[in-house]
Amino acid sequence: MASNGDITAEDENSRRVQVRFITKLQSPLKVSLSSIAIPSNLTRRGLSALVNSIIQAGDSDWEPIPFDFLIHNELIRMSLEEFLIAKEISAEKTLEIEYIQAVVPRKEEGPLPHPDWMSAVSGAYPGFILSGCCDSSGRIWNSDGMCTHILEGHSNAITSVSIINPKVSGSGAKIRLATASKDRTLRLWEVDINEPVVPDTKVRAFKILRGHKSAVQSVAARPSGDMVCSGSWDCTINLWGTNESDAEDESIKKRKLNNNAEKSQTEGEVISELVGHKECVSSVCWPQHETIYSASWDHYVRRWDVETGTDSYNVACGKALNCLDVGGEGSALIAAGGSDPVLRIWDPRKPGTSAPIFQFSSHASWITSCKWHDKSWFHLLSSSYDGKIMLWDLRTAWPVSVLESHNDKVLCADWWKDDSVISGGADSKLCISSGISVL
Amino acid sequence: MKVLKRCGLVDTANKAKKKTPKLDNEEEKPQTSEAPNQDHGVSDIHKDMKRLKLKKSVKKLKMKKSAKKLEGEVAEGTQQTNSNMLTNQEAENPGVVESDSSEDEVAPRNTIGDVPLKWYEDEEHIGYDITGKKITKQAKKDMLEHYIANADNSKNWRTFYDPYNDEEVELTKQEAKLVLRRLRGKTPHADADPYAPYVDFFEWPDAIHPLSSAPEPKRRFALSKSESKKVVALVRAIRNGNLKLDKPKEEPSIYLLWGDDSSSTGKAEHGLSNIPAPKPKLPGHEESYNPSIEYIPTQEEINSYQLMYEEDRPTFIPKRFESLRSVPAYDKALKESFDRCLDLYLCPRTRKKRINIDPESLKPKLPSRKDLKPYPSRCYLEYKGHEGAVMSISTEISGQWLASGSTDGTVRVWEIETGRCLKIWRVEEAVHCVAWNPVPDLPILAVSVGHDVLLLNSGLGSEEQQEKMKELLLFAVTPDNSEHSIINWLPYEKDEGIRLKHPKTVTSVEWHRRGDYLSTVMPCDILDEIIYYIVLLTVCTRNIPFKLHGLPVSSVFHPSRSIFFIATKKAIRVYDLLKEKLVRKLEPNVREVSSIAIHPSGDNVIVGSREGKLCWFDMDLSSQPYKKLQCHPKDITDVAFHRSYPLFASCSDDCTSYVFHGMVYSDLNQNPLIVPLEILRGHSSSNGRGVMDCTFHPKQPWLFTAGADSVIKLYCN
Repeated sequence: MASNGDITAEDENSRRVQVRFITKLQSPLKVSLSSIAIPSNLTRRGLSALVNSIIQAGDSDWEPIPFDFLIHNELIRMSLEEFLIAKEISAEKTLEIEYIQAVVPRKEEGPLPHPDWMSAVSGAYPGFILSGCCDSSGRIWNSDGMCTHILEGHSNAITSVSIINPKVSGSGAKIRLATASKDRTLRLWEVDINEPVVPDTKVRAFKILRGHKSAVQSVAARPSGDMVCSGSWDCTINLWGTNESDAEDESIKKRKLNNNAEKSQTEGEVISELVGHKECVSSVCWPQHETIYSASWDHYVRRWDVETGTDSYNVACGKALNCLDVGGEGSALIAAGGSDPVLRIWDPRKPGTSAPIFQFSSHASWITSCKWHDKSWFHLLSSSYDGKIMLWDLRTAWPVSVLESHNDKVLCADWWKDDSVISGGADSKLCISSGISVL
Repeated sequence: MKVLKRCGLVDTANKAKKKTPKLDNEEEKPQTSEAPNQDHGVSDIHKDMKRLKLKKSVKKLKMKKSAKKLEGEVAEGTQQTNSNMLTNQEAENPGVVESDSSEDEVAPRNTIGDVPLKWYEDEEHIGYDITGKKITKQAKKDMLEHYIANADNSKNWRTFYDPYNDEEVELTKQEAKLVLRRLRGKTPHADADPYAPYVDFFEWPDAIHPLSSAPEPKRRFALSKSESKKVVALVRAIRNGNLKLDKPKEEPSIYLLWGDDSSSTGKAEHGLSNIPAPKPKLPGHEESYNPSIEYIPTQEEINSYQLMYEEDRPTFIPKRFESLRSVPAYDKALKESFDRCLDLYLCPRTRKKRINIDPESLKPKLPSRKDLKPYPSRCYLEYKGHEGAVMSISTEISGQWLASGSTDGTVRVWEIETGRCLKIWRVEEAVHCVAWNPVPDLPILAVSVGHDVLLLNSGLGSEEQQEKMKELLLFAVTPDNSEHSIINWLPYEKDEGIRLKHPKTVTSVEWHRRGDYLSTVMPCDILDEIIYYIVLLTVCTRNIPFKLHGLPVSSVFHPSRSIFFIATKKAIRVYDLLKEKLVRKLEPNVREVSSIAIHPSGDNVIVGSREGKLCWFDMDLSSQPYKKLQCHPKDITDVAFHRSYPLFASCSDDCTSYVFHGMVYSDLNQNPLIVPLEILRGHSSSNGRGVMDCTFHPKQPWLFTAGADSVIKLYCN
């Protein structure tokens, strides 16, 4: 192989290891399976250049892209030699190095300005970005960076947003959204995605959910879309129905709007209340039909059974928790961050232990949000008050990538369209970092 | 001795002579001329006896009969040995020809010595001659041969058999005669005169007179009376058991042969402390003239010695010599012996009582900080926005909001979680103190600004709460506002709220736990300061005319009982609000009290002082501080207790805050445990002021500190 000769000429005197590059990537990124001898002092960068040069040898107009390398399912974050020594892997045999595309954003899209701090974002629906702002309104941005809808109605800052039915498709389908606010209410909204795009269309909530006694901190929707749950400063988790007209019609107050009477607003009642947390429920997550996960300032993560309303699993970490997400391997790992710079990951399937299976502590301040990647078992992101968003791979203890697009506290972050990270913070900007090839 | 004995035998005749009185000496003197002859005889006998000695066994056999008789004489003879010796000497004096040498003696053939002869009975030899050759036994004569020989030989009666040399010995006639005379009890020689006159060997001119004519003194023969009295007394004492005779001291039969002499502990007990001189180091292998190769340092090592300090450098460098002969004189010998003498001379020879205390053991046993987690340790959040020094902060009871007042004339409300400023009131004057109403339903903020106390509607509660607050705060000026009250209740013009106008500057404002009452402190230079305490809900003022001796600094309500603490500059005065009288007085004994905080259980109070001392009072113990902690080098500006965690904190003008673990036990026997945990830094100094206020989060173990550098910091666990 031509490139092989180049490399050998470079480092004549260093140790060599026999390696074979394998990959699950598709054909243009695939290289031949033959094993080659490479110097053992190569780092990830060197390996990446090597693979790029191999690909270039087959395809002359190849644009080099960064790769990441896995040995025995662990990412290489030092020189190959050090890695082998640290992991006690024999260098005698032919090493199989798997390469994947490096998880780094390749494009920074212009920040979308907000009038106030951006406190919530959701990228669950690939068609648009839903953002919540401290000026008590929510916004919908399309992929061109244009604000298509403004959700008006809250009287205080929005704390959390959620898309109730992100999987809906077809003509006439309406996307339902839920927002939680410090004005103690949740509002449900409906957006018609097939409407022609008009900038800054004002939308009114079709349903107002009152019942919390204090500021609502978090909202999450059931995967089936018929219910949402919310965590609040009054230490409870409330479950609400999302249908426009509920069974108990009597309780619904119909209110004509003052100026444009096109839409009516109904008020929903609490279906069920999950009591157990002793302090503010700062984050909720509803990954499966019957299971709700919640994180609270009382240092506990709890798993609730919706049917019985009891918590079936709880784990304490000693720190007030701010965010929680469930995903990863088997969609069962709990990632949570809070009032310290450590992102902790628990495996509730492991019996008898409450110790986190992973702890990532590269941040410098509180962690405000963490989100698992939808498709990958290994990738998650976290945002922190130190102004950074970090992308993590469970296969290494260092962040795979650090995004420093914000210059103030990052309050919220999410994945969007599987290859972008959207985030908002105290600098009132919505930043989109795209081109991240997770798979 | 045997010889002497035999001499004795010989001289037994002299016995009588000896006993003759000395006075006879003169008479016998003329006879002394014969003495040499006689002496010859004696020496002859002596010679004979010498010969006889060789044949002692013969004598044994032959003299058996007269043994008894002789023994008595021997006993007497030995007594007179001395005199016999003398006679012997005298005898030799005249120049005896015959010497005592063994020339004429026949050397014994056998050399086995004085051993039992039966050892050789069964042997073929009787012993060894002088050259070591065996002397074989002669053929034994049988009885018949013996008889014939006896009959044939007339001399046979004079012969006898010597088994020692295995030979027949024949006595001469003289010898036989000698023996016979001895058997008859006569002197061995016929010419010996047993009655020879006594010759005094010592003469003096006036021998007729005794040496002294004094009669013998009585004490020579009579017993001493005083001594006998003493003896009687001793005997009596022994009989009565008064005198105990010392038992003979038992010498320890076993002792340590190689025991260390220096461990003379027994002596030390009696106050005699014998400190043996330190022993010099004994020479080892390396001091040998020919040490093993491993003792000899290499050149590199010797060079490295030069780099060492003088004290560490080895004094002796082992060297190898061919022989002991080639070892040169030791050049340091004089110096070393001088040093040794100096050591011995300078060595302290008294045992000093020195108490060796491990300094670690003097430290109080405090639990480790790790076990006392959680406590605030790191700053994660900052609340920025004020333009002047933040004078006071207060957390809302639910833990969502933080209020702060600053010298820039603003009061701000912050969201704790995000650090977002929610509300700003511009009051145009430096704010001294802010306080949230502790009732969760009524988030009313009390702010002391100059002469006024403002009660502000924070606008944070729900609609119903808002309405309630509005009702409370929107009131007309009540008729209570008359001349005997010195506080004017006015509506606050700029914002919804109430303005309480005081005659003097208000420095501190404090809510009662139920949120009904409010106390304000006006430090004045006159004596009759009055603490007002206000019934808010019915909107009236009750003045409690507490007589204070000193300027009031701060006040605090007891968390559960109707007790009120006022901190003046010198003392803490405790009042019962129902009886309206002084209950107690706590004396911190510090220069100037600056702040006070009460433990949520109500029995413990901490007081901060201007000199940086923190006093912990246990109300159950005494009015003196239970613990005094000197922690800050500068003024303590505020102290605070946590509502639920066992934590308290103090902040100071030195830009630091200290966090302590302050565990109060429900068991009254157990004193509170105070452990310093963490020094929180981060604030910068501004106009000489550091941290102005500190307060704990009501639910989390977090500490807020307000700095003169216009920043509020949140320290998390």
